[in-house]
Amino acid sequence: MAAMGSGRGTMNSQNQVQSDTVDRLKLLYPNVNEDETPLPRAWSTKDKFSYIGLSQNNLRVHYKGHGKTHKDAASVRATHPIPASCGLYYFEVRIVSKGRDGYMGIGLSAHGVNMNRLPGWDKHSYGYHGDDGHSFCSSGTGQPYGPTFTTGDVIGCGVNLVDNTCFYTKNGHHLGIAFRGLPPNLYPTVGLQTPGEVVDANFGQQPFVFDIEDMLRELRARTRLAIDEFPLPDQGQWQQVLHRMVSTYLVHHGYCSTAQAFSRATSQPIHEDIASIKNRQRVSKLVLSGRIGEAIEATRRLYPGLLERDADLLFLLKCRQFVEMVNGSDAEAGAGAGAGADKAGSNGVATSVISHTSRADVNGVSGAGESADVDMAPAAANGDHEVCVCDVTDADGCGARASVERMLAFGRELYAMSQKLQQDLYHKSMLENAFSLLAYSNPWDSPVGWQLEPVRREYVSEALNSAILEAQGMQWRSPVEQCAAHSRALLQRMAAAGLGACAFADLAALLRR
Amino acid sequence: MSLSNSTHNPNDVYEKDDRRISRTDMNMLIMNYLVTEGFKEAALKFQQEAGLQEPALCSSLDERIMIREAVQSGRIPEAIAMVNALHPELLDNDRYLYFHLQQLQLLELIRAGRAEEALAFASATLAEAGANDAIALTELERSLALLAFPDPHASPFADLLLPSHSQKIASELNAAILKMENQEYTNPKLCSLLRMILWSQSELDKHNIKYPKMTDLANATIEHPK
Repeated sequence: MAAMGSGRGTMNSQNQVQSDTVDRLKLLYPNVNEDETPLPRAWSTKDKFSYIGLSQNNLRVHYKGHGKTHKDAASVRATHPIPASCGLYYFEVRIVSKGRDGYMGIGLSAHGVNMNRLPGWDKHSYGYHGDDGHSFCSSGTGQPYGPTFTTGDVIGCGVNLVDNTCFYTKNGHHLGIAFRGLPPNLYPTVGLQTPGEVVDANFGQQPFVFDIEDMLRELRARTRLAIDEFPLPDQGQWQQVLHRMVSTYLVHHGYCSTAQAFSRATSQPIHEDIASIKNRQRVSKLVLSGRIGEAIEATRRLYPGLLERDADLLFLLKCRQFVEMVNGSDAEAGAGAGAGADKAGSNGVATSVISHTSRADVNGVSGAGESADVDMAPAAANGDHEVCVCDVTDADGCGARASVERMLAFGRELYAMSQKLQQDLYHKSMLENAFSLLAYSNPWDSPVGWQLEPVRREYVSEALNSAILEAQGMQWRSPVEQCAAHSRALLQRMAAAGLGACAFADLAALLRR
Repeated sequence: MSLSNSTHNPNDVYEKDDRRISRTDMNMLIMNYLVTEGFKEAALKFQQEAGLQEPALCSSLDERIMIREAVQSGRIPEAIAMVNALHPELLDNDRYLYFHLQQLQLLELIRAGRAEEALAFASATLAEAGANDAIALTELERSLALLAFPDPHASPFADLLLPSHSQKIASELNAAILKMENQEYTNPKLCSLLRMILWSQSELDKHNIKYPKMTDLANATIEHPK
C-alpha cells in the first residue's frame, strides 16, 4: 500500500507534464491499463542502432550513418510493445525528408530483432518501404504492395489485434491488408538507410491524417453483435437464471420488500428468513448512513460473537467510525460536534496535535509505536498548539474540546487495536489514512478527503454484510456481482493473452448508468 | 476472518480508481432489468429501498405488465387482444411469436385435460403455421404429444408446462413490444453481462488459453484450471 501511496504522487506529476497526450491516447485506447501495459509514446533511446539519431521528445528520427550499402541500415523501436487491449492500434509517420535515396521502412518488429536492418527483412519483422512501395514480411525480398512514398507523405501503420492483421495508409488512404497472422507484442518500428533521411512519428498525441474512427466503430459493432447474439446454452432455463440472479442480489443486500415483490411476480423462492434479511438490512442502513457505532452495537446484539471472532472486520468498522467522527456523522462524535464552526475548530486542534504525532509514527514505524502513543496523550490534554486552540476557544470552548478529546481517545484505542492485529500494510495504511484526516483544517478538501465520501461506506457495509452471510453459511458475494467481477477478470485474461477482441467488449458501458 | 481471505481484495478500499464495481452501478443494472422486463411493483419498491432516482418507466409499462401477467397466468386470448390494441401490426408481422402465443393457448387446453378442444384448436389454427415452418411444426408436435401421456407432467415434454416456458414467451413478447417502440436496449443489461461472460470464455477456449471458468451462471460457480 505504501507503493500505492507514493505512486499517487508521481502519477500526478506525470499527468501534469503530459496531460494533453494522456487524454488523446486514453480516448483512443480506453481499455488499456497503462500500469500493466504502457502504450508506445516515443522512440526508444536504447532500443536502436547507433546510426539512428533522435530529437524532439524522441519523436523525430534521423539517419547519421554512411549509408553506403544495406549493411548501413538502421532501425529504432518504440519504447513499448503494442498492448493487445488496444484492439486496433495505429500510428503515423511523416516523411520530413527522403534524404539521399529514400530507403525508408515503416512497420513492426518483435523485441530482440536486429536493429542494423530495415523493418521487414528478418523473422518477426514487418515493413513497408518507401523506395519501391513493397511490403516485406520477415523476408529480404518484398512483395508489390502499395505506392512509393517520399518527402511530405504521411504513412500510417495499423494493427488489428482482433484478427492479427496489419494495414498501411498513405496520406489518409487505406492501402489494404499487408500482413496476416502477426505474432503478439510487436513494437512500432522505423528504419532508415541513407544520409539526410528524417521522419516524425505521431503515436496518437496529434490527430491522425487517416480517420480510424470508422474502423473502430465497425469493430465495436461487430463485437457487440457477437456478444448480443451469442447462443445461449440452455434456452429454457435462461429466464430462470436471470430471475434467480435478480432475486439473490436483492436478498443478499437486504432489499427485502423488493425481493418479496419480485418473488410474487416470478414465483422465485427466497432462501432466507424474511426477519433475517430485515436484520441485515437494518445493519447495512446504519453503516451506509455513517452511524457506525450503532451498527457495531446492532451487530453485537443480532450476531453475538461475530465481531469477537473477526478482529479485522471490527478494526475496519472502528476505522470507519473514526472517519465518521471527523465527518460528524457518527453519533458518538455528533454529540460533541454540533455546529459547523465547532467542526472546523475541532479539526483545527486535532490538526496540529496529530500531525505532530503522526510524524513520530512515520519515523518509527517499526519500534517507536509506543512513543507515538504517549506523545499523543499529553498533546491532547494540554492543547498546546496555539493556532488551533484559539479557534476552539473562540467557537464554543469545552464542547469542542471534549469532542476532540473523545476523538483522540478513540484514536488511541484504535491504535492499540491495530497493534494486536497482524501488522500488515493494509491495516497500517488504513489507520494512517484515517489519522491523516486530522492533519487538515478542512479535511473534506484535503488529499485524503476521499475517505469522507459516503460511497466509501459501501465497502464497509459490504464487508460486514458478507461476514454476516458467511457466518450463516451463505455466499459472501451475490452471483450477479460475482458475474460482473468475473467478466472483468475474463477481459483482463484476454488482454494478457493477446486477444484484442477484449478491447471492444464494453463492460464499462453495461455497468455505467 | 472472512475479511482477509484471498477472495476479498483488501486493497480495494483504498483504491481511488473504479476497479471496484460500485453498489450504485449494480443497483442500476438490477433496476434496468426490472424496468425493461416490466416488473413495476418491484421496480418502485427497489427505488424506495435502494434510494435510487425514480426509474424512467416507459410509457407502455403498465400495458406490458398486464400483458405479461396475462401470458404467465395462461389467459392467452386476453393477452393477444391487449397486444393488438397496443400495436395492431406487431403479431401480424411476427408470425413466429404469434405461433408461440397460440401454442401457449394449446398448452392451457392440454393442461386442463380438454383433449378434444386441444386437437380441434390445433388443426384449426396451428396447423397452418406448422405447415410453413419446420421448427414450428416440431414444437407443435411436441405440444400435442403431451396428450399421449396419462400424466403430461411426467412426460418427456413436461418442460412445456412449466412456468419457465410461459415466462420465456412473455419475455419474447415484451422484447418485441419494446423493439416496436424503438427502445434502444431491448435486452436487459443483465443479459448482456452474462452473454459477455459466455462470449469471453468461448474466445479463450478457442485459443486454448487457461482461465478460471464460470461453469454455472445462476450460482456463479467458478472452476479453476488444473
